[in-house]
Amino acid sequence: MDEPALIREAQHGNLEAFNTLVLAYQDIVYNTALRILGDEDLAADASQEAFISAFRALNSYRGGSFRAWLLRTVTNACYDELRRKQRRPTTPLEPETEDGDEVETPRWLADPNASPEEQLAQAELEHAIQHCLENLPTDFRAVVVLADIQGLDYTEVAAVVKKPLGTIKSRLARARLRLRECLQTFRELLPAAFRLEEERGP
Amino acid sequence: MTNPSFRDVEQLSASLDGQLSRTEMTRLEARLQSDPALAAALADLRQARAILRRTPKRRLPRSFTLTPKMVGIKPPVPRLVPALSWASAVAMLLFVFTLGANLLSQISFGAAAPMMAAAPMTNEGYGVGGGPAATQPAITDNSQVTPTAEAFVMTAPEETPPGGMRLLAPPATPAPKASPEPVNIWLYIWLGLAAVLIAAALLIRWASIQAFRRKVSIRRDM
Repeated sequence: MDEPALIREAQHGNLEAFNTLVLAYQDIVYNTALRILGDEDLAADASQEAFISAFRALNSYRGGSFRAWLLRTVTNACYDELRRKQRRPTTPLEPETEDGDEVETPRWLADPNASPEEQLAQAELEHAIQHCLENLPTDFRAVVVLADIQGLDYTEVAAVVKKPLGTIKSRLARARLRLRECLQTFRELLPAAFRLEEERGP
Repeated sequence: MTNPSFRDVEQLSASLDGQLSRTEMTRLEARLQSDPALAAALADLRQARAILRRTPKRRLPRSFTLTPKMVGIKPPVPRLVPALSWASAVAMLLFVFTLGANLLSQISFGAAAPMMAAAPMTNEGYGVGGGPAATQPAITDNSQVTPTAEAFVMTAPEETPPGGMRLLAPPATPAPKASPEPVNIWLYIWLGLAAVLIAAALLIRWASIQAFRRKVSIRRDM
């Protein structure tokens, strides 16, 4: 994929060229939105909205990492969605039973190719991570999702959230520290190799 | 052994991502060897980071590729379409004009007919071919909407004979049975032309939209 050529063509209004870029990045865009928002439908809406905004604002792209530019668009869409979410009732991450109880290990989280045990373990891990992510302040959450879940380097994260490198370093350290404490409460649910040890005394 | 400060945690976190300079890294490694609390904090951060990296990736619920409608792109209009549209509009105008002229002629003929019917006197030698024969062309042909010599002769007051003879007298001989009005061929021509031009414009536009859709078709199987 000749990304610069596709971007140039898309900047001239070629939708087919832009859709080729969408196909290349929609996975990371959707998964980023999902981890920030914690809701499949909202994440899908934010992703779609981000791609539409990106196409319309493509002429403002001035080079650099296109992935970072695209992720900034989706991160902004997620912030907008979170602000809207604060003003209206929220939908729980987990589906509910008829009695209104949350389903502990929902089947819809599972990968159909995995064995039932693996599906269960994966669903529990995802549940624990998502729960802990949602307890983080939004700015910290975005940084840790981009750096640790999506694997962006500090420079790219800084470009996405438009903050200096020092801020990224600091937010990431705080986020990891908080996540570590939160994940400890899910100790029994985590895969054996990743079970965190109990807090060490002095 | 003391709990690491936030500055230490920040350094440990950055060291996991290779964000420390060589000097900073050497200094940190030396401290890690002598400070078990710092080493334990590093292990915790490493584990938290490893768990986050194992976050399952969700499959997409749908493709997020864009359609022209989503971004407000309209298919280009072929150059021929506006020309055809204008031509069809002109043909329609001509049709309406012809129809209107035709109707006006019929109305004027209709107004003249009772007068003819009410006329008690005849004038055999007047006019060419009698009233109905003289008025017929005015009804059927819009080119004769303006008074022709024949019609003028029939209606002009100065042509009235001195004896006060009625102008619109029916012929002395029984009037020939009125044949159906011949239809003005131009009505059909203009209407047909407008229909053909509109159909051509629509066909070209449709073909253009189809070509545009094929061009921006989304390859969801990529």
